[in-house]
Amino acid sequence: MAAHCESGTVTALLNHGGLEITEPMVFGIASGIFFGYFESSNFSFPMFIVRNKPGSMRRNIAKRMGVKFYNKSFKKPQQGIDELDRLLADGHPVATQVDFYYMEFLPEYIRAHINVHFVNIVGKNEKNYLVSDAYHRDKAELSVEVLNKARFVGGYMAPKGFLFYPFHIPENIDFNKAIIKGIKKAAFDMTKLPVPFVGIKGMRKFAKKVTGWPELARDIDHLSHEIMKINVLLEDQGTGGAGFRFLYATFLQEAAQKLNDSQLEGMSKRMMAIGDDWRNISYFAAKIGKNRDLGKERLNELSQMIYNMADQEQAFFSELYKMVK
Amino acid sequence: MAENNLERLKTEVKEVIIKTLNINKINPEDVNDSAPLFAPDNPFGLDSVDAIDIIMTVQKHFNVRIADQNLARDVLESIDTLAEFIHRERNN
Repeated sequence: MAAHCESGTVTALLNHGGLEITEPMVFGIASGIFFGYFESSNFSFPMFIVRNKPGSMRRNIAKRMGVKFYNKSFKKPQQGIDELDRLLADGHPVATQVDFYYMEFLPEYIRAHINVHFVNIVGKNEKNYLVSDAYHRDKAELSVEVLNKARFVGGYMAPKGFLFYPFHIPENIDFNKAIIKGIKKAAFDMTKLPVPFVGIKGMRKFAKKVTGWPELARDIDHLSHEIMKINVLLEDQGTGGAGFRFLYATFLQEAAQKLNDSQLEGMSKRMMAIGDDWRNISYFAAKIGKNRDLGKERLNELSQMIYNMADQEQAFFSELYKMVK
Repeated sequence: MAENNLERLKTEVKEVIIKTLNINKINPEDVNDSAPLFAPDNPFGLDSVDAIDIIMTVQKHFNVRIADQNLARDVLESIDTLAEFIHRERNN
């Protein structure tokens, strides 16, 4: 089990390659913590994200720890199928991108068409692939046909059979340097990126815009659905809870021990408290959405809670940036 | 002794859930400790919103932390698992 599919698959592959590293450490070094609020004609409704973009974990781990990954996507499905089978035959567990919906070993009610899910494929027998999924306690089997379908579906951010595995893990990794770089980049992106819809600016935009969501929704049911989605995006599987803030707090705690830095220990506690406040927001959103209690007053209340988070995270990440500058 | 404590804790957990969710029609003894909490036939009739409510209340009431969603799913499986988690955390 892992908190998140991408950091979970990367961690498991690194562990298999002999490197002892935890998922929070991978998440932190890879600067996984983030915020972005997006409005686009590509989306039917505004959306927000609480982590950096898919693929960044692997790329940042490669950059900061010197791990070399083999990675490839495919124009022709058969090439991708043959390549996965070849790598497995050579004894390499491999991460591959799939449509989450086809992970049939998971309960149906949690499965949805999400093209950017990652699983590790750890073996193959006559009819099935052996799959290790961050959201499933045990190894699962998935038929060859279904996995192939999951790897080669079309649509937005189509997986195209994308796969990767680490083929070189350095013996002596400078963890201290990697941790500092990971923290610095995350704090920079949260506070200093000159883009109005990412980081703290994105949070403030979200806080401002959420009061106008009733004008964008078709009806009260649609609005209720979108408000309840705030809870799903912050709390459901794939976030580790509280929009990854708990996972980042655990990273800071581990970093404090590795760097013997009591200031980071204090920051870890603060981030845990910030996570608690995000959890309050997710609960509030779920409650008012469920009860269709979505008048102006409630949405203003929700907006104010998000503004408060922006203030807290502004102070937090500014201080964190100064600590590692 | 430890078993008695755990049994008392289970009753307390059920009382806290009943109070938190304002479910007046159920008594703690009506709830099977090992039954899945979120199964459709559970007398609590819980949904995902209730789950967060329970997490937040349990954290506050018992002074423990359930900070990981996967852990939360395991811990909230039944009254047994929830009480055992609280018991473990308190003794750590």
